[in-house]
Amino acid sequence: MSEAQLIKPDLGYVKEVIAAGGESLKKCYQCATCSVVCDVTGDAQPFPRKEMVWAQWGLKSRLINDADVWLCHQCADCTAKCPRDAKPGEVLGAIRRTAYRAHAVPAFMGTLFSDIKFLPVVFAIPIVILAAVIMLNNQPQAGSHLFPIFGGQGFMPEGPIVFSKMMPITTGVDLTFLTVALLAVLSAFASLKGFWGRLEAQVPASVPRKGFVPSMMEFVGELISHASFKKCTVNAGRTLAHLLVFYGFVGAFIATNIVLVYEWGTKFGIFHELETPLAFSGAGLLPKFFGNIGGLAIVFGALLMIANRMSKSEDSPASGYDWVFLGAIFLVGATGMLTEILRLMDNAALAYPMYFVHLVFVFYVIAFLPFSKLAHLLYRPIAIIHAKNVGRDTAAPTAKAA
Amino acid sequence: MEKKIGVYICSGCGIGESLNVEKLAAVAQRKGGQVVKTHPCFCGEEGNALLANDVASEGVNTVVIAACSARAMTDAFRIDVPILERVNLREHVAWSHEPNDEHTQQLAEDYLIMGIVRVQKTSPPEPNIQDISKVVLVVGGGLTGISAALDAAEAGSEVILIEKSPRLGGWLAGAWKDLPSTAPYRDLETPQVAEKARLVQANAKIRVITGASIEKIAGAPGLFDATVKTEAGEETIRVGAIVLATGSRPYDATKLAHLGFGSSPDVITAADLEAMAVKGEIHRPSDRKKAKSVLFIQCAGSRDEAHLPYCSATCCATSLKQAMYIRERNPEAEVTIVYRDMRTPGQGEFFYQRAQEDPGIFLTKGVVTGVTAAGGKIQVAAKDTLLGPDVKFEADLVVLATGMVPTTVDEPILNLAYRQGPALPTLKYGFPDSHFICFPYETQRTGIYAAGTVRAPMDSAAVVQDAAGAALKAIQCLHLTAQGKAVHPRVGDDSFPDFFLNRCTQCKRCTEECPFGTLDEDEKGTPKPNPTRCRRCGVCMGACPERIISFKNYSIDMIASMIKAVDVSDDEDVPTFLGLICENDAYPALDMAGLARIKYSPHIRFIPLRCLGGTNLVWMAEAMSKGLEGVLLIGCKHGENYQCHFVKGSELCSIRLSKVQETLNRLQLESGRIRMVQLAINEFDQLPGIVDQFIEDVKEFGPNPFRGM
Repeated sequence: MSEAQLIKPDLGYVKEVIAAGGESLKKCYQCATCSVVCDVTGDAQPFPRKEMVWAQWGLKSRLINDADVWLCHQCADCTAKCPRDAKPGEVLGAIRRTAYRAHAVPAFMGTLFSDIKFLPVVFAIPIVILAAVIMLNNQPQAGSHLFPIFGGQGFMPEGPIVFSKMMPITTGVDLTFLTVALLAVLSAFASLKGFWGRLEAQVPASVPRKGFVPSMMEFVGELISHASFKKCTVNAGRTLAHLLVFYGFVGAFIATNIVLVYEWGTKFGIFHELETPLAFSGAGLLPKFFGNIGGLAIVFGALLMIANRMSKSEDSPASGYDWVFLGAIFLVGATGMLTEILRLMDNAALAYPMYFVHLVFVFYVIAFLPFSKLAHLLYRPIAIIHAKNVGRDTAAPTAKAA
Repeated sequence: MEKKIGVYICSGCGIGESLNVEKLAAVAQRKGGQVVKTHPCFCGEEGNALLANDVASEGVNTVVIAACSARAMTDAFRIDVPILERVNLREHVAWSHEPNDEHTQQLAEDYLIMGIVRVQKTSPPEPNIQDISKVVLVVGGGLTGISAALDAAEAGSEVILIEKSPRLGGWLAGAWKDLPSTAPYRDLETPQVAEKARLVQANAKIRVITGASIEKIAGAPGLFDATVKTEAGEETIRVGAIVLATGSRPYDATKLAHLGFGSSPDVITAADLEAMAVKGEIHRPSDRKKAKSVLFIQCAGSRDEAHLPYCSATCCATSLKQAMYIRERNPEAEVTIVYRDMRTPGQGEFFYQRAQEDPGIFLTKGVVTGVTAAGGKIQVAAKDTLLGPDVKFEADLVVLATGMVPTTVDEPILNLAYRQGPALPTLKYGFPDSHFICFPYETQRTGIYAAGTVRAPMDSAAVVQDAAGAALKAIQCLHLTAQGKAVHPRVGDDSFPDFFLNRCTQCKRCTEECPFGTLDEDEKGTPKPNPTRCRRCGVCMGACPERIISFKNYSIDMIASMIKAVDVSDDEDVPTFLGLICENDAYPALDMAGLARIKYSPHIRFIPLRCLGGTNLVWMAEAMSKGLEGVLLIGCKHGENYQCHFVKGSELCSIRLSKVQETLNRLQLESGRIRMVQLAINEFDQLPGIVDQFIEDVKEFGPNPFRGM
């Protein structure tokens, strides 16, 4: 018999999960209805019941290193069936929030995202950095009301609206966003490396491994179709919303990268120089196509998400950060589309500030990805790949099809 | 009294469509009915008037109503005559047998004749009326006793309240907080017992005697003489009825070494913790430091065959309560509760939810496997938890949630001067309870009612209700006793067993077997009746080998005569059987079978008995010699979860039958001709199967050789 494990309840962590949106967790009386109704849990050591107990006891290290909370897509079947109104789906969401905060590298970024009171700081960072970049790239001009901080002189370019005049591609956009993207990647890598190690350490070496790459390929297949998501019966509408937002970002990502490739290609003489704003033809056609379709998908997907959330605001109280996040997703798309529309309307007075706001939200999405709710983009794949690697993911569609 | 027998045969409710009522009327006339009438609805206005008129102007004083079940239409047939008998032609005949069938008609005729024989063998009872005390004695001055005293006084009774300790209040007087007793059942309450104790002291109808013990209680309901001993000396007080409210004590924790008790001063009981909370800070007794982490072990010695096999119903809620006030006093404190099953019956579920809401109360199912003191902390090991296969916890203070032991386990308390002993008989686990569903608050001693935790484990809200129930039972007993009437279940019965002592052989069977300890003995062993203790079940009548015990309206001769009156057919293919059935469960079960129109053999004649415990073996002999093929006895369930209205009547019957069957074997009669079955009232659907199977089985033996002799 193995040595008994010492259980130390952690009141602080219980309160942290409660604050992160798990206020109902203490209502659970461990009947396991949630684990029974869950369509994605495995049969051995099923979730979410065990997570509910751990959360009541504040067993932080177990929960933040628990792959199962990431297998949950928060379909809320369990929340609907819970006889005690303990909302296991919400609690798992709250646990995930505490998990990516706990894994944040550097740690202070986790703290910054742990409390809504730090929100001004979170948005001050992109505002200050982007404003500085714009100011460094331009001379202040009289009569311009963008950042009119130098005796009434601002940074709004004159003439036809060309955003690269305000925010040059290389020394502005690339410098800023490639830098923060790199930092985000480094941060994510550091967090995930530790996370993966701890996940794998929990499963004895004697358990056969499928291998990282085959597991990942299987995951990618499911990701493309959103197969697991479709198992949700209570929240059927969520699949479409998530698909829209997901593919919207994919579109925006593709558009950005085409432009990036073109831009750097021209520097090496491979392509002809692209003229901004891009035309809806020629070399601009593809990025325009992906960008616009993606932007629209994000806007409508985010609206759908917000509507879903509002329609059941009673039994699904999103924490403040969830609303901020949903707002940011919507606004990153909406400000992008508005920027384009304002440009086409030739309203420079509004187009430039809108572009600036858009950049702030783009910054938020990219730079804070490992710390915001978008972190699920990192942790969920890792956890699912781990589950597939060790054979935990019996929830694959074929296994539960009956 | 010169009887004038009136027989009234109803043809309503399908009786007339199934039976030849005119033929029945002719039979009644032939067999002794002096006035015989039929009517399609005797319970209606016209039929009722017919009856009333015969009683008023025709001088009918003995009435046989052959209509529906004796349990139906009781108000319509409440006729003021000395002797009234109901013959059940509806449920037991018309509704459960083939209509217009010769066997059905024969069954009805037999029942009618048996009814007439019954009234012929009945004389009006003479109630035993004595000058009784109507004082209610309440023993125990805790919340239960205080509540019972207040309730009885409020209902107009004089009350004497006896408490062992120098002051009133009991356990709850030493409690810091109490469980919620009112909606929304979420918040801790301050114990209400002190306020109630003040009300008792101020009540002119209640005399409080503290520092007292009971040396002896002699007598019977209405006539109890309680000898009460105090520092001032002994005093004998005449009281009418008794409420036993002496409560319980916590299980002896010194027997719980396996849960760490005794291994460290920091392992305490729930009672210790409560006392600690009253005195001040929750601390560790070892170093008097504030306890930051407290762990409760539920079912400490409870639901454990080696200790208390039962659940005490309140320990879970009590631990939740204590956890809540520990957290209220010190928001930094962490409280862990390891339970086997969280049991918070009744409204306790709301309280459980409230306690759960507190993030500092940690709950898990689990079985504690060891408690050890280590490094200034107590380590508690547990298995089968929700947190992993084998886990351990650390706490500053460990609290054992011990169960309740009724005070009657330690001493008889009432010290009854009864032939059957000084203590109240117990049902299970030492609780002096009777079957609670059917007989709330009753003990197996008439006029003595148990309430509160001496009767069964319960919380303070429940003991208050219990106290009211027992107080009302005591008052009810006094009022019935004053009229010479029986208490539950034969409420209002004013008959009483007569003992023809000239022929008594002092065998003591009656004094031993009476389920209620009614009979005392003189030096020689002759029974000394205590009429007000009697429940009129007739167990003594069944026990007596000399057949010298009988009631005016219920006797061995009466039942034997009814058996004799059964018509045994000359046709060998038409067998006749006798059924002796308990009137409390089997009779209504037969009624229900009739209501459900379930059919069974028409060849069995049922005679209801007050209790199967009144079965006298002479009836078996009578039935056999008469040529009846067999006797089926249907009684209540006995054993641990008995349903017998007289506690052990059906069990006594089965013991007696085991002896008669030996006799049958000697007579070369198959012992299988007599069978006893146990039937619960709700098992009516099994009756046809039981009856038909019995008849089938007895057929195997061939006809009764005594038939036609």
